[in-house]
Parts: sequence; structure tokens; C-alpha cells
Amino acid sequence: MAWDPDDPRRRDLDDEIRAHLEMDRLARIARGESPTEAARAAAREFGDMTTVREVTSDNWRGEWLANLRQDIRHAARRLARVPGFTAVAVITLALGIGANTAIFSVLNGVVLRPLPYPDPSRLMFVTSQFPTQGFSKFWLDAGEVLEYRERNRSFSDMGGYATTAVNVGAEGAPGRAPAGRVTAGFFHTLGVAPERGRFFTDDEMLPNAPLTVILSDELWHSAFGGRAVLDSQVTIDGVQRTVVGIMPPGFDIHDQGIRAWVPIPLSLAQVNTYRGGHFLYVVARLKDGVTTDGARAELATMMQTWTQMDGGDPNAPCCGKGFVHTPTPKTHPLQMWDLREEMVGGISRAIWVLQAAVALVLLIACANLANLLLMRAESQRKELAVRAALGAGRGRLLSYFAAESVVLTLAGSALGVLLAWAGLRGLVAAAGSTVPRAAEIALDGNVLAFTLGLAALTGVVFGLVPLLHLNPAGLSGTLRESGTRTTSGTARHRVRRGLVIAEMALAVMLVVGAGLLLRSFWNLTRVDAGFDRANLVTFGVALPTRVYTDSMRRVQFYQDLTSRLGATPGVLSVAAMAGLPPRRQVNANDTQFEGMPQQGPFPFNVDYYQYTTPGYFETMRIPMVSGRGFGAADGPETTPVAIINETLAKRFYPGVDPVGRRIRPGAFTPWYTIVGVAKDVKQGGVESKTGTELYFDAEQMPKTQGFGPSAMNVVVRTTLPVEAIAPSVRRVMGQLDPSLPIIQLRSMDDVFAEAVSRPHFLANLLATFAGIALLLAAVGTYGVLAYSVAERTREIGIRMALGASANGVVTMVLRQGLALAVLGVAAGLVGAWGLTRLAATLLFGVAPSDPVTFVAVGSLMLVVAAVAASVPARRAVAVDPLHALREE
Amino acid sequence: MASRKPALSRIELLQGTLDLIILQTLRWGPRHGYDLLQFIRTTSRGVLDVDTGSLYPALHRLEAQGVVAAAWETSPKGQRVRMYRLTRAGQRRLAVEQTRWERLTGAIAAIAAPPAAGEA
Repeated sequence: MAWDPDDPRRRDLDDEIRAHLEMDRLARIARGESPTEAARAAAREFGDMTTVREVTSDNWRGEWLANLRQDIRHAARRLARVPGFTAVAVITLALGIGANTAIFSVLNGVVLRPLPYPDPSRLMFVTSQFPTQGFSKFWLDAGEVLEYRERNRSFSDMGGYATTAVNVGAEGAPGRAPAGRVTAGFFHTLGVAPERGRFFTDDEMLPNAPLTVILSDELWHSAFGGRAVLDSQVTIDGVQRTVVGIMPPGFDIHDQGIRAWVPIPLSLAQVNTYRGGHFLYVVARLKDGVTTDGARAELATMMQTWTQMDGGDPNAPCCGKGFVHTPTPKTHPLQMWDLREEMVGGISRAIWVLQAAVALVLLIACANLANLLLMRAESQRKELAVRAALGAGRGRLLSYFAAESVVLTLAGSALGVLLAWAGLRGLVAAAGSTVPRAAEIALDGNVLAFTLGLAALTGVVFGLVPLLHLNPAGLSGTLRESGTRTTSGTARHRVRRGLVIAEMALAVMLVVGAGLLLRSFWNLTRVDAGFDRANLVTFGVALPTRVYTDSMRRVQFYQDLTSRLGATPGVLSVAAMAGLPPRRQVNANDTQFEGMPQQGPFPFNVDYYQYTTPGYFETMRIPMVSGRGFGAADGPETTPVAIINETLAKRFYPGVDPVGRRIRPGAFTPWYTIVGVAKDVKQGGVESKTGTELYFDAEQMPKTQGFGPSAMNVVVRTTLPVEAIAPSVRRVMGQLDPSLPIIQLRSMDDVFAEAVSRPHFLANLLATFAGIALLLAAVGTYGVLAYSVAERTREIGIRMALGASANGVVTMVLRQGLALAVLGVAAGLVGAWGLTRLAATLLFGVAPSDPVTFVAVGSLMLVVAAVAASVPARRAVAVDPLHALREE
Repeated sequence: MASRKPALSRIELLQGTLDLIILQTLRWGPRHGYDLLQFIRTTSRGVLDVDTGSLYPALHRLEAQGVVAAAWETSPKGQRVRMYRLTRAGQRRLAVEQTRWERLTGAIAAIAAPPAAGEA
């Protein structure tokens, strides 16, 4: 209530009050009181001036508001008199509104809110495809990016980027940071200016330019303490780069947490040397007035003539005469879609499912509250009847009740927002890297507006439903109905039971959904990834190629590392490999198979190449299906050898023993003899089908392919936990090269937990909401039965007096409860049948209509209902017939 | 709030009843707030002790509804007072309130007769 000091009415009122006091004082003096005594008594008699002012000024706003305020004040007082009812109602509401607020914050921050770039709706994401190789979302090569940027008319600018990680040689301990390698146009496309310094100049993007770097605000602070580093040199991957700019806080691409940006040196003059090396994703900004469809149409036209423009023959197969590797409509089309869609498309369905789940929770909460208020309304029928008789119209009666729901809704919402705020912190922490844009999740104005709207809607739904069958004309009957506990009012009972059945049904749907997700997660954790992950510790090492320029030196480094670490107490064996299972980037490779001519436009593709040190299969405990693993006998000077996985053997050597056959990565390397077939190991995540995989012996790489892997993952088979092995790892790495960071030292179990963290997160959340729903439904069932037993005390007393056994009474109440539950469960299972298929993409190894889950949930709900019914049933038995009969 | 007398003097005036009393009182001529208070107390022989926290809100509410009008005047004792008088709409309202009052007393008599007598 705004007490505006400048309101002339206020001055009037103050004058009026002063006049009142003065008159009283004078009257008292006239009656013989002393002047001081009179003034004091007048003030005492007048009462609390502030209250008089407030209450009076309320009336300036008109009667309606004054009534409402009064109703609310009275409602709050009435509710305080029934703390049990109020607490249950407020907590129920708080759970419903809190869950909705929290999940809506996620939906808002991740899915709904535009990306943090200027005019983000004009940003597109471009990728390529290789339909014949089975790749539906692949990278572009630098030649394609340069030419597309040069030739298109749809975009104001575009740029490519690749994500990687670099060693940052800050003072003290070296660090590892995610980095972005970008082409010209990348920053301009996104449209975010550097906070300090500048972007790379065009010259700095050319080959042989001086080395430069742009830092993120985060790295600038964490590694360089926010000192003046502009134009000075910092060590990135072992070489000195000049800092030309610092980006504003939070600037990123695709939620990669990029901390440093370096140019990819490219020149349009050398475009032909870039072809075929696909490693870039592309962001592009639509020109004003150009639509997505327009840009797509232009791209389609460009692809028709792209090869000819570059002097190639569009029909020439790869990679012979006349072939120029450019985009083509059939074999290597480019595609584009909205950048936001690309970023959150994968998770948005899951978040919408969660939002639907919490909406169900809220509906259940509303049903419960409606029931509570209904019972309360009935216990207050007499009071209402008196009011109606005194001439209170229907409007006043509605407002009487509306006031209670307003008070409950306000209290419930306030508590709900608190719950959401607390829950959200845990949620964001638990979501971690599994949800993109997690940093943008917050309880902001949008969310609070949503909550407010939701609360209002909730208040109307649960607050007004009970009033629908409450009419003043009917109330007069109540007055005459002097004995309240009769069996009349079947309509009211029907509403109450309907509500319980509905909330049971909603709870069943949620629990079924949670059950399916939990089973999916369980299935995921039990997938055989192809190796023994127990007692396995892993960490990454990245040798900067500008320091470790000689590939033999890199091989030597990993030999030293594995042998020294292998000699440490508690370590059984050590190996290193390029790509860490069970989830790594596909590195699709053109491969030649001896005696197998190329079919189709492109060479054969092998999904994954893997470079390992000897002892890899033993350390990982990957069984060999046939042949052998890499051994001590294989070395730089011996016959090049390769090992294939089962999937590759089945695809390329059906019905043939591949051991002894030969294979090579392109035409310029020697042939590798296949010496063994290894059991499949997961590469694209535990939920994905295993791709074809080809293993090379890292020691043989420099001689046969002219390079050695620079970044590798080390696996240590040990009886020790991570913390116990960490000092040995640090000591050995320190001996070999103290400038190298130890990247993500952790157990293989942790690697797996992270690989399934998203389904885990989803299943946990949904299970929490299902638990709340279950609890609310149980409370609802209990409430209705308890009320019904209380109402029928007299009837039960008569039955018992007439010789009904205790068992008989218990059965009667239980049967009543179970009848509700059976109807609710049946309706819920039917609903779940329809709804769960919407979440089919979130499931793994379990059908949306999985009968086991459905039966289990149905039974569970019946048990819960039986437990909820048993309490009132026991109370019914405790009815003393004599007391019950005398009560009236 | 300000009332020191227990029991009957503290009965909460049912909504609308105070309006009726005020309108009825103003029928005999304009009065200011303090005057009204004294008049109600004296006329009801001290049973109805309307407190200022009810009277002034009621007066201002009735003013907002247009059933009474208020103006600053100087009292015979030379004091500046806010005088309230009944408007034409107020006279009509009074008739309505009187009818309602009769219904109300009848209803209360019917409901509350023997058992409710002892309740506080």
C-alpha cells in the first residue's frame, strides 16, 4: 500500500485526525481532566494512528480492492488457524511451482533464449555430407570454405573454425586449454568485437605470417592474472605468439569453452592444396533480406557448377584424372541450418520432456490442492451459509475463497521460487558439460514472469474448481441440514474421487517415463565397450609439434613414458593410443584394400584410425578374435603391420580370414599386413553402433607414413586408485618434460560416467519428479479416504455395532481406495502408452511400450495406493461404535 | 484496538452494519467524525463502541461511493472540522440498508437463537 506523502487526501486525513484528537482533548479538559492527562487519554482512545491511516487510505481505492485486501488479511488469519492444512497446501504448491520454475529456467536459458551474438537469428551453421560413405554431418575443407566465402551472395560474411586444445605456457604450472583455430571472416561473422585489442588482420591470416593469438577473458585472467599482455608474447604449444586481442567474457562458439583463438593460415592462391582435408565447421551470417531458403537455393545452384569452376570434371571418380574434390549435389553436398538449432537441437527434446514432466507434477499438485480446498469448503459450509443468509452475494463468497487460494498461491510460489533457486544450483552443477549453454541458466526476469503467470493460473485452477458446485441457493439447504455427517453430497464425492483418479493417472505416466529412462541408463552402463575398464587410469599428453618437430622424437617420448611408468610399483602395464574410447571424434579415412578395386565415387572409408603403442591390447584387455596384437617383434624396421576390428573384418572380409591380407591408407604408403582381428571397442559413444577401425603401431608411423602422433592418451593398468598413482605420473612426466601439462588424469570409470552423463542426468531428474508425483498422488489418495472415513464415522459405528468385523471394515476402506487406484492406473498406463513414444529418441535398449516397465509401474502404484489407504482403514477400525453413535 | 471494555462493547460490527448506523445518524444533519463517534456511543448507551479504525475507513469508503459528501467547515467553537452529509444517493442507500438489516436480524435470530447464546 503506497502511502504517498504528497497525496492531498493524506493531508486532509491528517488534519481530520488532528481535529478529532483536539476535540476529544478539549472535551476531556471540560470534564475536568488535567491538560497533559487529557492529551494522553485522547491519543490512547484514538488508537493506532498508522493503522487508521492505512485502513482509511485503502478505501480511497474503491470498495472492490478494499474488500479484497480485507479478504486476504482475513484469509491469512484463517489459514494460520489450520497450520496442518496450510503447510500441506503450501508445500504441495511449492514443489509444483519450484520444479516448473527450475526446469523452465533450463528451457529458457538453453533452448529459448537467443544466442549471445548480435542479431543471432541470422547466423547459420554449414556442414557437409558424404552420403555414399554414410556421413550425414561432416566437416568442410579449407578450399571449400575459401571458395564459398568468395563466391556466395547470400551472406554478409562467413568463417570456418576447428576446435582443438593447446598447452598454455603460463608462469608456473603449464595448463591445457580448449582452443579455436579460425579462418578469416569467423569473428566478423559472429559480430562480437574484442574487448581489448583487435581481431587478426588479413595479413595475419596468411601462410608464414607472424604468429598471433587472441585470448579469452577467462584465460587472460586465469593464466595471465589480467595483466597487460596485449602486444606481448605468450607461449602457446611451445611457441611464442603475440597477443593481439582479448575477447569479452563468455564469448565462445558452440559451447566449447574456447580459451584461445589462433588463425589458420590460408591463401586463396593455394586453394588446391587444401582440398580433401575436411576439418572445418562454418558459421555464416545471412545478409539483410536474405532468407534461409534463399541461401539454400543459392548453395544448391553453386554446387551444380562448383567442380567445373575449379576446372574439374564433375563425373570423374576420386581421385584420378580430372577429379577436383569440391562440393557436389550428389556425393558431397553442403547443408546449412540455424546455428541455435545446431547447438541445442539435440538436448531440446529432452528439456521439453522434462518441462512436460514438471507440468504433470504441477497438475497433480493442483488436483491435490483442489481436493484439500474442497474438503475445507465443506467443513466451512455452515459459515458460508450464514454469510449467504446475511446477504453476501455469490461474488463475495467467491472472493472469500479466492482470497484463501491467493494467500496459498503467494506463499507456495514464494517458497517454490526459493526451492527452484536452491535446486537450480545443484541442477547446473549436475548438468555440467551434458547440457549446452549451462552457464546461461539463471532465474531471470523471464523465468520469474513465467512463474508469476503459472502461479496465477494455478491459483485459478485449484482455487476456483472447488467453487463450481457451490451456489448460495444450495447453501440454504445446508443450514437446515443440521446433522452434517450424512451420506448426501454424492456429487461432491464424485468430484473428489475424479481428482484422485486423475492424479493417479498423471503420476503413473510420469513414473513410467522415469522407469523407461532409468532402464535406458542401466542398459547404457552395461554396454560391453570391448575392454576391461576396471582398474584402469588414463590421462592425456600433447607434444607441441613445433617443439617436438621430429616424429621419431615423439615416438621415443611415448616409449620412454610407457616404460618408465610401467616400472612404477603398483602398475601392471602401460600403453598409449591416439583416440580414447568409448567416445571420440570420427576420423574417416580413405583406405585401400589390396585386391579390392574402388567402388563408387570415393575410395573405401574406414571410420576410425587408431595409433597405439605395443601392449595396447594387453593393457586394455581387448581380446583378439584371431591373430595377434602388436608385439615386441614389431618395430620401425620390420614389416608394417595392422590390426582390424571385427566390424571391419565383417564389412570388408566377409567369410574370409583377413589375417595376412594387406591394407593401406592411400596410395603413398607401403602396404600393411593384417596380423590380427580385435574385438570391437566402442568409439562413437556406448549408445552408438561400432564403426570400422584400423589399428597402426605408433612406432612404425614415422617410417611408413612420415608422422608420429603428437597427442596421445595414456592408459595405466594398476591396482592403485587415481590419487595413489598421480604422484608417480607427475614424477615421470616431470622427468621427461616439465613444460607439459598432464591432461585430465582420471579413472576409466569416470570416463564412462561422463560418456553417459546426459542420460544419467535426465534419468535422475525425471526420477525425482516421478517421486514427487508419486508422493503427491499417495497424499491425495490418503486425504480423500481419510476424509471419507471421518465423514462415515457414524455409518461405520453402526456397521460395527451391528456386528461387522474389524477385517470387514478394513477391507471396505481398502477396496474403496484400490478402486480409485485401479481406475487411475489403467488411465495412466493408457496415457503413458501414447506419451512415451514422444520420448523414444531418449531411450536406449528399451521400447517406449516396454511391458516390463508398464507392469512394474502399475503394480508399484497399486501398492502405494494400498499403503496410502491402509492408514485411514486402520483409523476406521478404531472407531468406537458407542462414541460414533452418540456424536450427533 | 483502543477499546478497553471487554465483551459486548467489542463486538465486531458486521460488515454493512456500521454503514447503516452512519447513514442513519447523518439523516438528522451533517456531523464530523468525532461527533459521530460520541453520538453512536451515547445513543447505544455505550454498547456500541465504534473505534476510529472502523469509523474513518467507513466514512471515506462511503465518500468514495458517493453516498456521503465531505467538506471542511469551521465549527461553532472555531475549529476546522470535516463535515459529512448525506447525498441523494445516500438516502436511497439508507433505504436499502434498512431492508437488509431487517433480513439480517431475522436470519440471525433464526440461526443463533438457543445454542449460540453462550458463544463468545
